[in-house]
Amino acid sequence: MHLRIAIPNRRERLRELADTIDAALLAHGIDRVLRDDVRLIAEEVAGNSVGHGYPEDCSGEVVVEIDRRPGALALEFRDDGRPFDPLSAPAPALDGDIDARPIGGLGLHLVRELAHSLSYAREEPYNVLRVTLRDPAHGR
Amino acid sequence: MDLQIRIDPPRGDSQRVALAGRLDTHSYDELDRRLAPVLASDIRSLVLDLGGLEYISSAGVRSVFKARKALAARGGKVVVANPQPQIAKVFDIVKAVPMNEVFASVAEADAYLDAMQQKVLRGEDDD
Repeated sequence: MHLRIAIPNRRERLRELADTIDAALLAHGIDRVLRDDVRLIAEEVAGNSVGHGYPEDCSGEVVVEIDRRPGALALEFRDDGRPFDPLSAPAPALDGDIDARPIGGLGLHLVRELAHSLSYAREEPYNVLRVTLRDPAHGR
Repeated sequence: MDLQIRIDPPRGDSQRVALAGRLDTHSYDELDRRLAPVLASDIRSLVLDLGGLEYISSAGVRSVFKARKALAARGGKVVVANPQPQIAKVFDIVKAVPMNEVFASVAEADAYLDAMQQKVLRGEDDD
């Protein structure tokens, strides 16, 4: 299985991205738990790119490619926005009084926690984030 | 499925809001908008019934945080009932709600809030 989907850097297109990915994974028999993890990672990573990666009114493109490999799903996110390494973002403070905690930084934390592995590279003019997820139902 | 929000009439100083569908980048602002008058009223507790909620992302978690902060500011509480597995997993990762404020059913959440209320009435507030 290989899936490639590109959307313009508009927040209102994120749902289309997530729905298209989900439908493709469903068609390949991938279970609900893994599909929801992929949906969440796609929403958070692509949402971060379209929300923060571009100067105002600057058009761009976010491309997601998904490959199914034995025992794993490999996701690659590529955008042409400003250089940003999501792995360099500080982890949110999750301890202490919940009601006193700052509200931000949760999306990338979720991505880091759900992913089996993550790597970032700036391949001019692109940010490239590679994410793998375990897919134990898919035999080696 | 998009987000569906059902706001029940207040029951004493407690109110129940049931969510179904997806609480994400596309729907959190609708929830914030619908919850604003509830949070501005004089209720002391809000039960979020998540039994029909299929999916939540960080945008949805932030809405839950906002509701918690709004009620906590005047000594109230938001409790969560019946989170489905994806929601429970996300809440767990970001520690969105203390474990003792997540209930397997709305009935359990109501019983907890009733017990809290009784304690307050008897002057046994242990805060």
